Amino acid sequence: MHPFDIKAVLLAKHAQHVVLIHFPIALFLIGILFDVLARGAKRSMFAAAAYCNLAGAAIATVPVLVTGILAWRFALEGQRLKGILLQHLVLGCVSTVMIWLVFWIHFRTRRNDSETLPAYRLPIEALGVAVVTLTGHLGGFLSGVNAPS
Amino acid sequence: MRRSVSIAGLAVALVLGMGVFGPGQKSFEVRAQQKMETMEVKIDNFTFGPGTLTVPVGTTVTWTNKDDIPHTVVSTDDSKTFKSKVLDTDEKFSFTLSKAGTYPYFCSIHPKMTGKVVVQ
Repeated sequence: MHPFDIKAVLLAKHAQHVVLIHFPIALFLIGILFDVLARGAKRSMFAAAAYCNLAGAAIATVPVLVTGILAWRFALEGQRLKGILLQHLVLGCVSTVMIWLVFWIHFRTRRNDSETLPAYRLPIEALGVAVVTLTGHLGGFLSGVNAPS
Repeated sequence: MRRSVSIAGLAVALVLGMGVFGPGQKSFEVRAQQKMETMEVKIDNFTFGPGTLTVPVGTTVTWTNKDDIPHTVVSTDDSKTFKSKVLDTDEKFSFTLSKAGTYPYFCSIHPKMTGKVVVQ
């Protein structure tokens, strides 16, 4: 395996998608947590932390989505997916949209110099957390975290 | 006269004996041959079992996914001899190995899962 062969690098045993996925999940969940804290404590510091984490989560979805699709193309040669693999792909795409939607709501509020975030973001954030968690659960199942070491 | 009768009796006994034992022996050989031609590898709990399979040339190896998770069977020898599609639970993949050699393989979804077929 040549270290600078793109296929070899993407299919390395430490599978980049599996490594990178932790970043958007963690940043998104922490961002939501800070948003809830900012709402409860009415502290702008928490709101700023929420914004930064959500921005990081949104940016981190890009390499995750790219490596996920490349793994599908290279490891499975783009064959038609079904079952858990298909569910994971669809939920992964929905998760990406949800993360970007939540970030966009926060971004738009900041751009408009508005102090208060719209209340309708809360059910969207809750749904985002649920979809991200479900996607992560299926991904963990697929990656073999339950496998004997 | 007596001698020719005994020769004829011996010939009849020989023919009858071939009739009785011949087909049985043949079917035993066929069964043995069939047994040699198909071998099973079970994919269970993220493991190929047996991990190393030694078979004669011309054997068909069948992999069956007994896991709840999809797996693949992809050979990693230089000529990439065999490659399955994604196997869901209870799906099978068969390949006939017609050349002697060692065929290491892995699951492309779970690269830690490896196995080997040795064809002699």
